[in-house]
Amino acid sequence: MKVRDGWHRWDEIGAVALFVVFDDPDLVRRTLLRDIDVEALPFPVLVDRERATYRDWGLIRARWWGIWLDPNVYRVYWRLLRSGERLNVAGVDVLQLGGDFVVGSDGRVRYARPQHRDDRPAVGALLRTAREDPHRPAG
Amino acid sequence: MSHAPRPGDPAPALELPDLTGRPTSLAAARGRPVLVTFLRHAG
Repeated sequence: MKVRDGWHRWDEIGAVALFVVFDDPDLVRRTLLRDIDVEALPFPVLVDRERATYRDWGLIRARWWGIWLDPNVYRVYWRLLRSGERLNVAGVDVLQLGGDFVVGSDGRVRYARPQHRDDRPAVGALLRTAREDPHRPAG
Repeated sequence: MSHAPRPGDPAPALELPDLTGRPTSLAAARGRPVLVTFLRHAG
């Protein structure tokens, strides 16, 4: 899921989105957020250079063979290249995995999907979970 | 190493600076559902 896609849908249901990165902020601006005015972002992109929060949320580094021997990784990269994306992997930790969580308005986790490979849940599943939060303010 | 929280667990704390250096926390969004997405490398 790209950061830039779909955030208006979270606002429409009264939800908030927080994105966390661990790379150098300058690199994030040049790659992930290129052509985007950071000051105008509707949701914050948070920086965890030490990855302490990644660890607190149980997010691990993959074994190298779990990434580079996974054919799906090459399919994803090939699709990105065909769509004109540039891949810049030099100097970054490609083994650190991410994850997606939906936290309910009561502060409890409603959905948890830590990555094991280069996989991500469908945005629709995340939105549905947030929309079904019984404590969600009417929006 | 912590285990990833499971549905029903209290969310772990999350307080970090944003790209402009402003401190931001999950607690500040209490009362609204929050998507928390940890991204892989930016490259």
